[in-house]
Amino acid sequence: MTKQEQVKAIFIEEAGEIIEKLDIDIIRFEENSADLNLLNEIFRGVHTLKGNANAFGFTRLGEFVHHFEDVLDHYRSTKEGIEGDHLELFVGSVDVIKEVMVCELDAIEFLPQSYSECLEQIKNLIAMKKGLVPSAQLLSSEETVSDFADLASEFGFGCDEEFDNSVQSCVSRYQEMREEGLNLYKIDLMLENDCYKRGFDHLLFLKALGEKAESIESFFDMKDVWVLDGFKSDENAIKRVCIIVLTLLPRDDVDEIFEFLFDHEYKIQIIDAITKKVEPLHPQGTLHVEQKTPIKSSAPSAETTSSSIVSSKSTIRIDTFKLDELFDSVGELVIAQNFIAQNEKIGEIEDESISRTIETLSKITKRIQDRVMSLRMVAIKDTFEKMKRVVRDTSKKTGKEVHLIVQGEDTEIDKTMIDSLSDPLIHIIRNAIDHGLEADANERALGGKSSGGSVTLKAFHKSGSIVISVSDDGRGINKERVLQKAIERGVITGDENLTDSQIFSLIMQPGFSTAETISDLSGRGVGLDVVKTSIENLRGKIEIDSKVGEGTTFSMVLPLTLAIIDGMLVQATGEIYIIPTLSVVESFRPEKEIVHIVQGKGEFVSLRGQYIPIIRLSDVFELKSEPIQPWEGILVCVETESGRIAIMVDELIGRQQVVIKTLGKSLARLKEISGGAILGSGDIALILNVDELRPLNESVHV
Amino acid sequence: MEFNGDVLTIDSSMSMKEILEFEAFIRPRLEYIEIIEISDEDALKCSALLSLLSSLKRTKSDLQIPFLDKRALSSPEYGTIHWICHD
Repeated sequence: MTKQEQVKAIFIEEAGEIIEKLDIDIIRFEENSADLNLLNEIFRGVHTLKGNANAFGFTRLGEFVHHFEDVLDHYRSTKEGIEGDHLELFVGSVDVIKEVMVCELDAIEFLPQSYSECLEQIKNLIAMKKGLVPSAQLLSSEETVSDFADLASEFGFGCDEEFDNSVQSCVSRYQEMREEGLNLYKIDLMLENDCYKRGFDHLLFLKALGEKAESIESFFDMKDVWVLDGFKSDENAIKRVCIIVLTLLPRDDVDEIFEFLFDHEYKIQIIDAITKKVEPLHPQGTLHVEQKTPIKSSAPSAETTSSSIVSSKSTIRIDTFKLDELFDSVGELVIAQNFIAQNEKIGEIEDESISRTIETLSKITKRIQDRVMSLRMVAIKDTFEKMKRVVRDTSKKTGKEVHLIVQGEDTEIDKTMIDSLSDPLIHIIRNAIDHGLEADANERALGGKSSGGSVTLKAFHKSGSIVISVSDDGRGINKERVLQKAIERGVITGDENLTDSQIFSLIMQPGFSTAETISDLSGRGVGLDVVKTSIENLRGKIEIDSKVGEGTTFSMVLPLTLAIIDGMLVQATGEIYIIPTLSVVESFRPEKEIVHIVQGKGEFVSLRGQYIPIIRLSDVFELKSEPIQPWEGILVCVETESGRIAIMVDELIGRQQVVIKTLGKSLARLKEISGGAILGSGDIALILNVDELRPLNESVHV
Repeated sequence: MEFNGDVLTIDSSMSMKEILEFEAFIRPRLEYIEIIEISDEDALKCSALLSLLSSLKRTKSDLQIPFLDKRALSSPEYGTIHWICHD
């Protein structure tokens, strides 16, 4: 990747973050449009996006955000109240920015229609606010752009004339002054507003150039300096500085002075000049300025240049790939440490200092593992913030009044999982509003509820897992109707004795929908099965709880991280297996009397009135072993998507957190195994995919 | 920084930290200040001071800042600096 490509990749990532933040901020602003700080925050995001977009040739995005920025700037500086329609336009503008960004990245020639529509509305709004057109008057898009520019100039909005004239006059004077061997440069500095925080200042560049200059003049354009209310000293408000310098320095040396700036922050031009042969240059490299002020002879510019690179960042960006590599290495370290701690030969050494060293190594390894783990953990807050937009849009589309309640937004979760959680959450929330909440306020009133429905988004820790739940206070799921539909669709036969949870889980079967009307939001029978698959891919599960007339709760139970699994180590037929603790219900040695064999169905254990099928791992993996009776072994009862099963093992080894290793292609076809892990002893254990240990149609409940 | 009646005198050699302190100081007191004098004009260290003075002038148009009104500064270090205020 070239340097330019690297910078572009950083821009794309940053732009993505800015847009994501805009999406959240604009909804917060819609809720409280009097919040000027938030408006300033949105303005700054749009401003940065504009600079970056234009720098990378994303002109269509640049054009749009440029006009959007103008509108925001107007409201920011005038503190004028924002009308509802215009707020809607702001929200729509952020949508357009998102769409255009995709078009720019994928080099899609045709932009969505919303682009030109929204842009025209923005331009009209600016024109109206500047008093250039009456509020009701709409301009055609052709008229708006050109006429507005002309009118702006006529009414004095185009105020660059004085600046340009001053610069041009200086260039002419310097052209006259130019002597042989001297180069004349015109340098435009357009430093970003965070330049001071990055350690740069206009004066540093003037100083660096001045040290080797024959003559130097600069012009600071102060038109973007705001009144105190919108002003912050540590944010650069001087958006344009033009430097005219007559110097011996060749182009490369001038480039070097600005090399630490972004490409879009400076532009260097060599000015062709009328040359005249005059006397030699001033000795000592002294500088002539207009007022003939003597220039101090000073140290080389290296000091100045290096002093301008001040690193004050408290955070750094790390490629997640590198983080994964680091995590893998720590995984290996843990394995090696376990190997030392469990090695019999080392254990036989009776030496206090060795034991202490091993113990210290163990503690340090654990600390490193915890810290590396924490690098991957991020608060779920941002994901929850995004859901506000989903609730808002769905509420508007369905015409239902919805209150969103968010709890536990500081709960941390693996970054990899966060990325995969958005889609399932969006689907469940839409489903909750579209089908969960009552459409009719009277229906809610009859149930003693307020007219506006509520959706609660909650995240919390529970037994070493993370639970993210979406609850609504709507009509709840009609259990009988779900059962009837499941029988009609052949999902179940009707003979099963299903628990409430199992009945509710039926709605997540592919093609299953109880919705009477299909909307563009939900109810098409596809979706909840995809949600279920997505969550299962994260090694989690969904639990549904519902009460008719009171509401429904979808709980996504997820592991803390995808890289480590909390597992129960068991031994069966001489091999060690790992059962994810999340699915383990209980383990026990059965009495002979409760074990039954059903002709053609296999072995079952009767537990509290329920017949649970017994799974022998030797049968699943076709291993040769001496058969033992179930009451001679131990049964580990686990919850699977198709009900409970009892896995028969010889011995329970213990509970342990293990680093998951993916298996090679040759073992990928074994769906009963989801991965492997290297144990402290150096042995390899397979992680069981309990959901695949028994297909759905074999479930038998009495 | 010195206060003498309605006149506030500041150094132009302020660092960014000092400029931020000056900004915090003057915000609530701007209405009581009539004149801002600069003691050592050619020792300017940070362009943010120029911005802040412009912002103060823009906020309170009758505030007198003789340094700003000169529209230019000649310095041995920086050459000639002009500022275009568009006012």
